[in-house]
Amino acid sequence: MVGVSTDTDRAPVARTDVPPLEVRNVTVTFGAIKALDDVSFTVAPGTVHAVIGPNGAGKSTMFNVLSGVYKADEGEVTFGSARLDQMRPFQIAGAGVARAFQNIALSAGQSVAENLMLGRHHLTRAGFISAGLRLPRATREGRLHGERVREIAAFLDLEDKLHTPVGVLSYGDQKRVEVARALCIEPRLLLLDEPVAGMNAEETERMADVIREIRSGLQISVILVEHDMGMVMSLADRVTVLDFGRCIADGTPAETQDDPAVIRAYLGSGDDESPLDAISAHETGVADHRAAQATEHPTDDDQSRKQP
Amino acid sequence: MWAAWSAVAVVLLLLPLYLDEFWLRLGFASAGAVIGAIGLNLLVGTTGQLSLAHAFFLAVGASTYIYVSGESGGFGLSDLSGLGLPPVIGMVLGVLAAGLAGLLFSPIAARLRGIYLGVASLALVFIGVHILNSWTSVTGGFNGRATPEFAILGFTFGNSDPDLTVLGVDFGEAERLWYLGLVLAAVGYVYAQNLLRSRPGRALQTLRDSEAAASVMGVNVQAYKARAFLVSSMYAGLAGVLYALSVGSIAPESFGLLVSIQYLAMIVLGGLGSVGGAALGGVFVTALPLLFQRYADVIPLVNSTPGEGGFVPGEASRYLYGLAIILVILFEPAGLAGLARRLRGLFRGDQRRARPSRPTPDPAGHHEMPSTSDRPAQGSTTT
Amino acid sequence: MTQFLILLLNGLSLGAIYALIALGFVIIFKASEVVSFTHGSLLLLGAYSIARLSESIGFAAAVVVGVLVTALAALVVERLIINRLRGAPVISLAIVTIGVDIILLTELIRRIGPDILNVPHPWGGQSVSVGGIGISENRAIAMVVATVLIIAFFLVFKYSSWGVAMRASAEDGETAALMGIRQGRVSAVAWVVAGVLAAVAALFLVGAPTPGVSAASYTVALRAFPAAILGGLDSTGGALVGGLLIGLAESFAAGYQENLLFLGRGFGDVVPFVVMIAVLMFRPSGLFGTRELTRV
Repeated sequence: MVGVSTDTDRAPVARTDVPPLEVRNVTVTFGAIKALDDVSFTVAPGTVHAVIGPNGAGKSTMFNVLSGVYKADEGEVTFGSARLDQMRPFQIAGAGVARAFQNIALSAGQSVAENLMLGRHHLTRAGFISAGLRLPRATREGRLHGERVREIAAFLDLEDKLHTPVGVLSYGDQKRVEVARALCIEPRLLLLDEPVAGMNAEETERMADVIREIRSGLQISVILVEHDMGMVMSLADRVTVLDFGRCIADGTPAETQDDPAVIRAYLGSGDDESPLDAISAHETGVADHRAAQATEHPTDDDQSRKQP
Repeated sequence: MWAAWSAVAVVLLLLPLYLDEFWLRLGFASAGAVIGAIGLNLLVGTTGQLSLAHAFFLAVGASTYIYVSGESGGFGLSDLSGLGLPPVIGMVLGVLAAGLAGLLFSPIAARLRGIYLGVASLALVFIGVHILNSWTSVTGGFNGRATPEFAILGFTFGNSDPDLTVLGVDFGEAERLWYLGLVLAAVGYVYAQNLLRSRPGRALQTLRDSEAAASVMGVNVQAYKARAFLVSSMYAGLAGVLYALSVGSIAPESFGLLVSIQYLAMIVLGGLGSVGGAALGGVFVTALPLLFQRYADVIPLVNSTPGEGGFVPGEASRYLYGLAIILVILFEPAGLAGLARRLRGLFRGDQRRARPSRPTPDPAGHHEMPSTSDRPAQGSTTT
Repeated sequence: MTQFLILLLNGLSLGAIYALIALGFVIIFKASEVVSFTHGSLLLLGAYSIARLSESIGFAAAVVVGVLVTALAALVVERLIINRLRGAPVISLAIVTIGVDIILLTELIRRIGPDILNVPHPWGGQSVSVGGIGISENRAIAMVVATVLIIAFFLVFKYSSWGVAMRASAEDGETAALMGIRQGRVSAVAWVVAGVLAAVAALFLVGAPTPGVSAASYTVALRAFPAAILGGLDSTGGALVGGLLIGLAESFAAGYQENLLFLGRGFGDVVPFVVMIAVLMFRPSGLFGTRELTRV
């Protein structure tokens, strides 16, 4: 568990307890389809590690495994002494792994501050009795963590929007609230799922700066799934390339950029599975197809929708 | 804000000096409904778990109170048993028993998606009515059983013992129960309000909006769903005790599916997710048939004697809140609470409050929004 | 042994009727993501219309008109309300159908009053013998009609363009819409089909051994809800299995109630719900329902 001190921290406080993340031979199958096939890679402490690949390559599945939303059928994921593949999502958060969602998963009706406070959930204790009765310790705890939330909001230029309902914020602001909420977990590993998708050039640049500051200031590890290649190549220390669920390259940005397998993957594939095929596949009534659809298709749809 | 609340409190405290028994009894019945509605709202509005089992938990609370505080003895056809303990203990045990029933069901409730729970919870209502009919020695069977009078430390909430006159007004059962209802409803209201504005409340609201997001953010989703279910059933248990006191007896049909649906109507009309809304909805749905009954001669189309054309009060109010549910979901998902907020906005000339998200409602989506965006929401999260 | 076989046969016939109701419930859910609590009162509407119309236009015509009335009512609900709420949270959709249910049910019960309306089925309550086992004629016919309807439904579901379109939109509404599938129409047809199935089920549900149409018919209809949940809300095959299971459970519990008296008289009526709870305890998405994968 992370015994993060709460009231003394100032936004960028370097972490010294970041272990490496090791993904070893992870396989995830949905019936007949292997969404991830024997994938391995290691994220060195304090680095920005990009996971890229064409649509449907398994990037979102990888994130879902890392955050415990899906269970790996084979292989293991270790983060220091923690076996992430054997933990439930909320326990993974407790181990210091935070995730910012690609499709914004904030509570639209709640204010920015309330959304960020959720990130403090595993660091706080107030329960149904102490909060409902407003016992002093619950009130004090809320105040302390409220201060830290304000700092993190400031770090992402959100301090003047703390009391605004998230639903009325611009898309770019909401994306930053996602990242801020993940930071409120006080993570040692931050999973960023397409943090700049749908953002304009200026907002993208701003987000890239934030990620650099997270690396240099907080010194935590960051895994980045992103389609903006310019951003990936300029930011990442290391890149893992997935295609059809397999890891086809792993190295520095420069190495992977020139890898023939990578070039082939990006030019050769894409959307070769037409929706028609997908539907006729369902007629067989195989539940596994559904599963695969549920995992891969929304991602694809979202991406195609967001790309201009 | 404090001034407004104090004014409301003073008025509510003084009303028994001026109102006749009908209104006071209506007030007490409403207080029970308000408590029950606040509880259901925690589950359905805040957590997004649809439940039609509320009537069952009301039944557990009411029967436990009657069994614990009632006396044993043959009564008519049935041979009743009771523990004869002080009514306060009966009330507390009623709440706890409802909580226990909720806890027993919560392994199921916690694992089901909201919509499955909606249908699964129907089961509890039917099983509940079956038990009320069968377990005659405790519940009185289909004849029902009378409610023992409430009392705290020898002060009874009846018409005498002690006799009480305040400023020339006789304080009988109706007056005393009014205050009991007022205090309990206020406690229920404040607790729920505190809960929603703090760590557990945020977790519940987030898991309603996205279970995956909540769990990835560190919320133990199943545990929280189970706790929401527990708290909600305890509220229902208390509401059940008040119901029994208000009507003076219980019978199986008092806890049928219709009662669950009425509670759902209360929180939908009030505005899902809003504690104040649930309270308003509770008063509205409770008062409607009683007012129709009382003013049947004045209100067109309503007739208190069946068979004379027109609608009997019960029917008339069912049409009305059925229709109201549909209209609210279609046009004003934030319910009465949303309407009130909007009126307040108009009053302040504040037109620019944009609504988040799409035109179609996220009924639970826009609750608890600060009333104006330029005023910092004091203390909601940072205290 | 004979009693066992009688109960088995009765259970299957009752289950076939429940399966029709549950099937409608499931296709409405698949097509429009609505858990329709209106289904109980739609069924009562079918039964009531058939009973009342039989007095004036005769049984056969009354059945046809009754089925049409129910289908039309379902269509009106879909067009006027559900269609406007596309994309709303499932919980609001379920609640709005409860609103409709309150109104429809109140009106029907007001009209029925304390009476029991008789439906003059041309087939009587007498027993027919199936392989030496007696079953009421009504139930026997119900079983045949339900079987035919269910087979027809599965053929349509598998081969018609509506069936394909509906399964496509149930899998992935957005993609289906992009491919030109009109979800509005898919959903409207689903509601109509569900209305027809409910009315046919009603016709048999209020026949022998049940005395006729009364306010209590609604409660009987509600017992089909567990059938749908038990099988899995999004599984048509599950509705079938769920229906049969519930029918059997109810039949056996009622038949052996002397042995079940410690559970209270009339336990057979709540058995469907007890079975549902037991199944959900172990399979939270029903027997054949898909475990929804989280889309994040």
